[in-house]
Amino acid sequence: MIGMWMTSAAAWGQQSSTHEEYVRGQALFSGSINLRGRIYTHVADMPASVVRCSNCHAVADGPDVPLSLAPRLTHDLLLLRRTRRGGPPSNYDRDGFCRLLRRGVDPAFVMISVEMPRYTIDDADCKALWRYVTGGGHQ
Amino acid sequence: MCVRAAAACATALGFCFAPHAPATVVAADHGRVDPPVPIPDIPVRRAGDGASAGLAELLRGRVTALQLMFTGCSSVCPIQGAIFERVQDLLPEQQSAGIQLMSLSIDPRGDTPRAMQAWLERFDARAGWIAVAPTPKDLDRLLDLFGQGSNALETHTTQVNIIDRRADLVFRTPDLPSADAIASILRRV
Repeated sequence: MIGMWMTSAAAWGQQSSTHEEYVRGQALFSGSINLRGRIYTHVADMPASVVRCSNCHAVADGPDVPLSLAPRLTHDLLLLRRTRRGGPPSNYDRDGFCRLLRRGVDPAFVMISVEMPRYTIDDADCKALWRYVTGGGHQ
Repeated sequence: MCVRAAAACATALGFCFAPHAPATVVAADHGRVDPPVPIPDIPVRRAGDGASAGLAELLRGRVTALQLMFTGCSSVCPIQGAIFERVQDLLPEQQSAGIQLMSLSIDPRGDTPRAMQAWLERFDARAGWIAVAPTPKDLDRLLDLFGQGSNALETHTTQVNIIDRRADLVFRTPDLPSADAIASILRRV
């Protein structure tokens, strides 16, 4: 009985942590928690309000970002192997996603455009963002 | 300009304005525009009161950094606005030195004088930073002139065009130049 309770508590704890991570990822994405980003040819960070992910990207089946060329971030776009920017077929994993955010290279090591800021983001926040954008807009 | 200085500058800024460099013709790419291209006196409406003016008239007598933007753009335009805001801070002497910043709307139907004024205020624009919109019929001509190459709002260029006191286009930066780079060019023209 105690064993079952402990297993349930552990599962609940994990679920709760996943939920918190997802919520933080959503907040980072929308800009309610600030991100530090800069254009890679510049020497200083941009104001947080202009480097929000949601300024350019839609997520899953969420609302469009009008007149933005940035891709809608979906589970399939990120996780399925596909050709990106003329490079060989590739897919993102969490490390690849974080590398893109920090250094501006995609999983096939093709550099992304100058308009996409490079972010100073720690592992925990990057993990939270990854959970949000791969979560299909659902927990 | 020596090769080493040019290389250092290119590394630091992503490009370099070299006043005495050999003339090169630049079309849609970045760099010196030689020969300079006169800006036509196309009618534009100004932010705020919506007053009409000729574009060349607004440019003549000042060195201008001109960016293309539209107020309904949430992706790159806010970054462009933040860059010009920093240029202002780097050039406190801006007005007395005859330097101005111009945000030129490429959405003349959507960008009312009031919308453009609100956009300027969002970035704490001071005197010397103006926003204008052409009439729809003149838009394609301006887009060709400033390297846009298409009238699709979502693909608009983020290059900055540098125009001299004679209202001639003399330099075009790469996409999203830094404020330091723009200020440096403006001081030299």
